Amino acid sequence: MQTSRFVFLSALPTTLLNVSTLKSSAVRNAANVTSTYIACIAIVFVTSIIKVAEADFPGKQLFTEHCEKCHSGAKAMGGFTVSSLADDFTEKQNRELWLTVLEQLKDGNMPPKEQPRPPVKDVQSVLDWITTQAENAERVRREIDGRVVMRRLNRAEYANTVRDLLGVEVDLADLLPLDTSTNGFDNNAEQLHTSSFLMRNYLDAADRVLDEAIANEPEPWIQKKRFDIREEKSVKATGSVYRHTDDGVAIFATWESANIRVTMWNFRSHVRGRYRFRISGYGFQSEGKPIAFRVTAGTLKEVTEERLIDYFAVPADRPTVVEFTEQLEPENRIRILAEGLPALPPAVEKIGADKYTGPGLVIQWVDVEGPILESWPPPSHKAIFGDLKQTRISPERFEVVSSQPMVDAERILRDFARRAFRRNINDADIQTFVARVKSKLDQNYRFEQAMRVGLKGVLVSPNFLFLREQGPKLDEFALASRLSYFLWSSMPDEELFQLAAANRLHEPDVLREQVERLLSDPKAKAFNTNFTGQWLSLRAIDATMPDGTLYPEYDDILKTSMLKETSLFFDEVLKNDLPLTHFVSSDFTFLNARLAKHYGIPGIEGMEMRKVTLPTDSHRGGLLTMGSVLKVTANGTTTSPIIRGSWVLERILGTPPAKPPLDVEAIEPDIRGATTIREQLAKHRNVESCASCHRKIDPPGFALESFDVIGGWREHYRATGEPRQVNGRRVRFWNGPAVDPGDALPDGRSFRDIDEYKKLILEDKDQLARNLTEKLLAYGTGAVPSYADKPQIETIVSRLRDKNYGFKALIHEIVQSHLFQTK
Amino acid sequence: MNIRRRTFIRSTGISLALPGLNIFADDREGAIGTLQPPRRMICICTPLGLHPDNFFPTQSGKDYALSPYLDILKDYRDEFTVISGLAHAGMGSSFAHQASASFLTGAPGAGRPGFRNTISLDQFAADHIGSQTRFPSLALSGEGSGGLSWTRTGALIAADNSPSRVFARLFLEGDTKDVQEQIRRLEDGRSILDDVRDQAKSLTSDLGREDREKLEEYLTSVRDLEQRMVKDESWARKPKPRVNAEPPKDIPNAADLIGRTRLLFDLSHLAIQTDSTRLITIMLAGSSFAPPIEGVSLGHHDLSHHGKDPSKLEQLKIVELETMKTVRDLLVKLKQSKEDGNSLLDRTTVFLGSNLGDGSSHSTKNLPVLVAGGGFQHGQHLAFDANNPPPLCNLYVNMLQRLGIEADKFGTSTGTLTGLELRQG
Repeated sequence: MQTSRFVFLSALPTTLLNVSTLKSSAVRNAANVTSTYIACIAIVFVTSIIKVAEADFPGKQLFTEHCEKCHSGAKAMGGFTVSSLADDFTEKQNRELWLTVLEQLKDGNMPPKEQPRPPVKDVQSVLDWITTQAENAERVRREIDGRVVMRRLNRAEYANTVRDLLGVEVDLADLLPLDTSTNGFDNNAEQLHTSSFLMRNYLDAADRVLDEAIANEPEPWIQKKRFDIREEKSVKATGSVYRHTDDGVAIFATWESANIRVTMWNFRSHVRGRYRFRISGYGFQSEGKPIAFRVTAGTLKEVTEERLIDYFAVPADRPTVVEFTEQLEPENRIRILAEGLPALPPAVEKIGADKYTGPGLVIQWVDVEGPILESWPPPSHKAIFGDLKQTRISPERFEVVSSQPMVDAERILRDFARRAFRRNINDADIQTFVARVKSKLDQNYRFEQAMRVGLKGVLVSPNFLFLREQGPKLDEFALASRLSYFLWSSMPDEELFQLAAANRLHEPDVLREQVERLLSDPKAKAFNTNFTGQWLSLRAIDATMPDGTLYPEYDDILKTSMLKETSLFFDEVLKNDLPLTHFVSSDFTFLNARLAKHYGIPGIEGMEMRKVTLPTDSHRGGLLTMGSVLKVTANGTTTSPIIRGSWVLERILGTPPAKPPLDVEAIEPDIRGATTIREQLAKHRNVESCASCHRKIDPPGFALESFDVIGGWREHYRATGEPRQVNGRRVRFWNGPAVDPGDALPDGRSFRDIDEYKKLILEDKDQLARNLTEKLLAYGTGAVPSYADKPQIETIVSRLRDKNYGFKALIHEIVQSHLFQTK
Repeated sequence: MNIRRRTFIRSTGISLALPGLNIFADDREGAIGTLQPPRRMICICTPLGLHPDNFFPTQSGKDYALSPYLDILKDYRDEFTVISGLAHAGMGSSFAHQASASFLTGAPGAGRPGFRNTISLDQFAADHIGSQTRFPSLALSGEGSGGLSWTRTGALIAADNSPSRVFARLFLEGDTKDVQEQIRRLEDGRSILDDVRDQAKSLTSDLGREDREKLEEYLTSVRDLEQRMVKDESWARKPKPRVNAEPPKDIPNAADLIGRTRLLFDLSHLAIQTDSTRLITIMLAGSSFAPPIEGVSLGHHDLSHHGKDPSKLEQLKIVELETMKTVRDLLVKLKQSKEDGNSLLDRTTVFLGSNLGDGSSHSTKNLPVLVAGGGFQHGQHLAFDANNPPPLCNLYVNMLQRLGIEADKFGTSTGTLTGLELRQG
């Protein structure tokens, strides 16, 4: 049985559900349902189900004989009493309580092993009954409420939406806290709550967005200048690692901890905005090889006030310009750090930079132009006010004025609300805001001041903050939004809007065309980042910092390369509609020199990521063996087969294991080398109540033991010890116990290592497809699929089978599905 | 024995005129406004835990020997109680970090799919006593906007991580023009809320039950904020308290755990001292960076996953000792500040704890708990059986009652925590 895949079974609360909460919320819900006609019909329907339920309930005897002894009265075990179970499966908490019971019975956790066991067929009939009841209740719920409850924009969606609405990029991290992703994705409608605190922050956020969009300041001047690197004070240090050449400065070493790095102090951003940089340089004495460097930006006053722009490389001896643009705050600077040079500063200084013959990086100059302005006032300003005139109201402040304020106010609000609400609007949608502007004008507000109140109203309106979906079939505008928030994490653009207005978007061919268009737009990066960021937990890449003693080779460039590998690989599979089996096993990946070295793959030079065909013995290919995934599934010190194993079951196979009973303590890691994790885990597998799950969890975990916490291949665990030399580097780790990556799947098929394990799981392609279908539906619609969706998911999977499991085909199938197009 | 007023009323079944019942003189906080000394609470969470071997004393009772961490507080031994064995019901090691969401709410199963949070201790208290101060509560954080405070509907309240910004809100008085501008903004805000409320109401009619609940949540939020803004407006007309302190400078370095903690603690002291708020929650930083402390070279999170490596344990100890020093200095400041002849510490319950019992094994049991001040009888180690622990929420009930709130239940509580009594007299 594959039931555990479906979240409403694994989404179980603990057994400690509070009974009194249950009752009070039942009362509250009952009060809520009486007021509309639709709900009344539902109650009639529900009642009829309850009657059937009472008549059919097959578990009375089983519950009396096997459960009630412990689960009754004030001191009921686990705080759960059988009598607290009610017939009404439409009541969510009650339903979840039943599903807890179902899980306990199904996994054989209850009755406890020392107690007599009920006959298997009795248990099965109770399981079937609960399942049927839950399915029926879910269908009833769908009839009234649809699958997806009204969904608030999450933080990323809010930021992207104001970006596309007004053309501004505003940092709102302090106002909008990160939304929870406990259901797998942080756009889960049910979990997105609102509070008075959040409303206050939405008001503040609207101010910040409008301040950024509206140009109240005088037009900024543009700085356009070539900075000669020889003029920089950071390369003038005596006894240094820099040689001044005719055309620039050769950098022979970088040492961040000793502040040996090239900061462009002569440049500073004078206002907020986007700046264009052109850096000219070449590899020096590098024997034909390119030299890499990294550019960072920020105030550079603190470690955390410096962020990576990107890694670059320039060829040997041939001056080459790298170009990029970057959004900067005022008073920001940039820094250039040579990468991968063999010498540390003392070695260069000993010889002297003028006589040193090793490789270096020559930087000649840096051209800066910015802020880049498309127009003045900027497009964001015009997006609101069009060509309305501005007037100077104080030496440093301009404001928009109008000769026919109410005519302009209505026009502006109508257009703004249409885009902000993502649909055609009527007078009722804007009349409150128009009336508000009028009353503010009557209170002697200046035109722009009054307009800001109206515009702010639009930005905190439920029509803006929530996706308006009505069922059963989504209307055209709702479909446009669902599609654009799926693939762009943002609002629909004008083309989608026009198609919706023309009532054409639902046509299968049009939808197909639009999916292709959205996926090829740069905004689709949001899908790549937000989906993989959560599906694969890549957002947690910085949650731990690998232990510098055990893993001295870990650095920022490695981390960045790992993330790029996954992102590019995901894109490649998507854009080319490759079979989704590539996510498990693939003959190619994306590498640069740094990552190739980490993976032990020869012959890759330079910093740019490129598609590489993997050697047959590389042990790489697919997501499981990527550094990024291996890093986020480990802490900085140790790996755990349980954590990685659960991860594989949950994310790749879509068969999440039950969570351990609460009284089971996690294994305490011990890196002193005395016992291996396999020895520690042996006790789990020797206890039957643990073994039922660990037989499933441990195998992929053991297979991945061949990779250390940063995704390096290992034959032995590393253990700390006295310093020694490895490849000319002083390290403080030694080979600990040998890794043993072999094991067997629950069905008995054995494997010796990760390569063999991957082959085994590739045998069930449908399951891999089923898993991704569920994940994409959850992400794409804002609600986790449930039991009731199973037949439709199977339809998608079977259609995909005929399309060679193409990943883009899957996106199309999802979008074309009934599930995606209904509320 | 304490006769609780509520118990008394219940047992007699009569509604009594409460003031004037002298036999309850010790225990009548809450309802009787001016007669009551103000009671406060500061809740602090250290999200990576505190290494249990260094935190918990080995003996229990009054005469326990101080543990290495508690030794930092040795001069104030009678001002705090250390409690071992407590845990939140329904937490497991698989979601140990996510359990910080439930640290002050006690909602079981944080991090599990389908989890929904509920009201945090400070917000529950703010519903009762929040209206007495300019700020009903303050949610602070050492890093990011995730904090400890949650609303009844399970929405996270963005915590402020900028001490300078909070300081300005609390103490910096603009000129008349600024005040006017502030009042105008609040009026505009209320106008806007009024408008969107109308708009939301017009949406309600064509929605299903669950959608209507969502919209109802929105409407409640709007209404609550409108009411709050009315109060804000009247506060805006009153001068802010003056303090004899320089406005803090934010520390941009997110790795600087100790520096940032000090700023938050100093600010909390000022907020309490000026009675700007009586309820503060503080989520300390727990980052992957190495804090800039002599002798520490590894990331804090990594150190907490020490895997018993002696060198890591040593560095972890350095970090946590420094954290304990910041706690000590907070207690000292509160103790030295007087109000009506009492020390502020006696009127402020300072609660320090963590969602993690052991960072290395990700255990959520045997949580480190320290309760200082508040007028409790201290100077003891209350040791509970970690294998059969009372819920941490029991302690929260004691803390609520100490604030004068007549609660006999909070979260997963089963009563109050035995052994933590009020100081007599």
